[in-house]
Amino acid sequence: MSTKKMMHVLPVEAYTSQEWFNLEMKTIFSTTWQFSGLVEDIENPGDFISVQAGLNNIFIVKGRDNRLRAFHNMCRHRGTQLLRAVGKNQKAITCPYHDWTYNLEGKLISIPKKESEFPDLCNKELHDCGLNLHEASVDIFKGMLFVHPDKDAPNIMEYFGNIEPYLGPHIPEELIEYKEGVYAKEIQANWKIIIENNIDHYHLAHLHEGTLNMYDHDKAEFGWEGPHYWFYEPLVKDYMDDFENASLTPLIDHISKDKIGAYVPWFFPNIGLSESESTWSTFHVLPIGPDRTLVTFRTKTASVSEWEYTKQTAKSAMSSVWSKYGNKGKYVGDKNDPMASGDFMEEDIYACEQQQKSLNSPMFSVGARAQKGEYAVMRFQEEVKKWMNANGANV
Amino acid sequence: MNKLYSLKVIDIKTETKDSVSVSFDVSHDLYETFNYKPGQYLTLQFNLNGQQVRRSYSLCSSPVIEEPLRIGVKRVKYGLVSNHINDNLKVGDTVEVLAPDGRFFADVNKENYKTYYLFAAGSGITPVLSILKTVLFTEKRSFVYMIFGNRSQETVMFKKQLIELEATYKDRFVLVQTLSKPKSSWSDIWKKSTYNQFRKGRIDADCIEWFVNEYPPYAQNTEYYICGPGAMIDNTVKALENIDVPLDRIFIESFGGSNSKESIKSVEVSNLKVSLNNETFQTKITEGKTILRTLIDYGKEPPYSCEGGVCSTCMCKIKKGKVHMKNNLVLSDKEIEKGYILSCQSIPLTDEIEIVFLIKY
Repeated sequence: MSTKKMMHVLPVEAYTSQEWFNLEMKTIFSTTWQFSGLVEDIENPGDFISVQAGLNNIFIVKGRDNRLRAFHNMCRHRGTQLLRAVGKNQKAITCPYHDWTYNLEGKLISIPKKESEFPDLCNKELHDCGLNLHEASVDIFKGMLFVHPDKDAPNIMEYFGNIEPYLGPHIPEELIEYKEGVYAKEIQANWKIIIENNIDHYHLAHLHEGTLNMYDHDKAEFGWEGPHYWFYEPLVKDYMDDFENASLTPLIDHISKDKIGAYVPWFFPNIGLSESESTWSTFHVLPIGPDRTLVTFRTKTASVSEWEYTKQTAKSAMSSVWSKYGNKGKYVGDKNDPMASGDFMEEDIYACEQQQKSLNSPMFSVGARAQKGEYAVMRFQEEVKKWMNANGANV
Repeated sequence: MNKLYSLKVIDIKTETKDSVSVSFDVSHDLYETFNYKPGQYLTLQFNLNGQQVRRSYSLCSSPVIEEPLRIGVKRVKYGLVSNHINDNLKVGDTVEVLAPDGRFFADVNKENYKTYYLFAAGSGITPVLSILKTVLFTEKRSFVYMIFGNRSQETVMFKKQLIELEATYKDRFVLVQTLSKPKSSWSDIWKKSTYNQFRKGRIDADCIEWFVNEYPPYAQNTEYYICGPGAMIDNTVKALENIDVPLDRIFIESFGGSNSKESIKSVEVSNLKVSLNNETFQTKITEGKTILRTLIDYGKEPPYSCEGGVCSTCMCKIKKGKVHMKNNLVLSDKEIEKGYILSCQSIPLTDEIEIVFLIKY
């Protein structure tokens, strides 16, 4: 490996090599609580979803006692994946290959031709044969589902508890998902490039000079709590003076005026939030390959009538705030050019992909780091390294 | 563990018209001995009508709050000890007490993030109140959903404390009351807000299903604690099993142990060989006597406390022969399979019986 470093912590290969990527899958994404969706994704007993957590495919199913269970999505016979992405009202789980069947507790309850083909298993109850599904852990934090491949995972509040006081006052369970607002896009960059962009304070006033200028970046507050990052910045005065009208969607009524602003925390290793006066979004960064990442935004807004939304849209259109803030491209030109789009997400994606492209250049190096504004980038890399080494990597 | 301590009664509170709670003074040097887990009980010994009797009563106090050791005692019809306590016990009296014990308890830990479902009926609230207070006070992130069944408004024990807890911890404590024979509301004396609201009926399958659907768990590590009369426990466990609650998440304590009606006759005389407290000896069990009573009458000091088949203090292992347990509310089928028996409930079915008490006292 080269000695070339990104922000002096991780080698450049960490962002380009398949070998490093595999090591991350094993030592980070298989050893942490992994975001799996929102609580309402599994509504009724028997409903399930399956998710990838590092090397593990795990499904979550709700029991009739309303408790969630998580199991490794793999038949104990020959290892075939049991359940497909999502489903409803499952009563039992049958492997398509040889019809081995498990109940929703993960216990093996039926094997075809048991007596003739598996005489060794005959004198025992099937669920005592040591062939029940491997258990995993599932829990809820702030209205979000998380799984952990280990059935004895550290409890989720020990993992997230200390960062909680730094989050917005939002109660996601009281909001409803704005389904048209789901945004998913595959980005041609390493997942760490995207996280580093997300927690980089320095770039806000520059890359997003015309798109995120309704926030007062100079007054931003940010810091770390264990491996997790928190960030808050207030609105600029013009926006604050007129936010009741300017807000694009109805205000969330449980956020008091003194708490208004943008909260953009990020939880190790790959899930962030974006919390505003009227929206609450999850920002999930799923690594697919060394230079490919699936980014998914899901947004929740106030649970009020269609009429309230119509009224707010009208008020917002009348507000003078948007003539000065939030939608002006960095360059003037074709709206399909990300830098002229006036959309901060397009700007970020562009910057990330351009940075990824340069990593293979023999001339590439990180020239210098902004002490305050890019401290988080370095700290994040340190956390990555620490976590990998704590879980058996030697990097 | 079988050692008696003299504790002084420092307070007696009337909880309902047929129950009291009694608190004891524990001197500093006994703090360690009388430390307990929420859900456990105290065993009191009295000499009444020339007979030495012991009864176990659950602690309703919490070990993590600065409050004296307190037990709840509800009158049992014709009950020797419970009526004695309700009628005669006075502040300042001294009572012989065994150290706290019991297998029904919650392992409370400030790092825990759990959802507790508590099911209590009648005086079964006593240990549940201890668990409730301890969890709310210690586990700042855990949730408690409790359903409390009573005959009517008048038989609700610890009313005031429950109202206070509901107000203090309203973000993560839900209390649902259900009354099987409620008094009409306009005549009742409760004026307090939501406390007037109750469900009608018993804690049965419908009620439990409604409850668990109405209050799904937030923290996914759930535990279920049930305390009440035998039938209420059976029904609650069955209802939970029916909705796939794993048995290892359910904890039960039976109150007012049902008297077994089946009449199984023991053999007339049985030879009993016993290993207890580092000695081995033989005696005979005469018809009608339990193994425990045989040993006590023989002048030995076997461990015991409730004599009701509830607490398991008197547990021993059978090496030879067969016994019938009149009442067993504590040993699991697995334990019985391994040969464990409750000596206080066991009558011999074979001529030769051999038992071993495993724990030394």
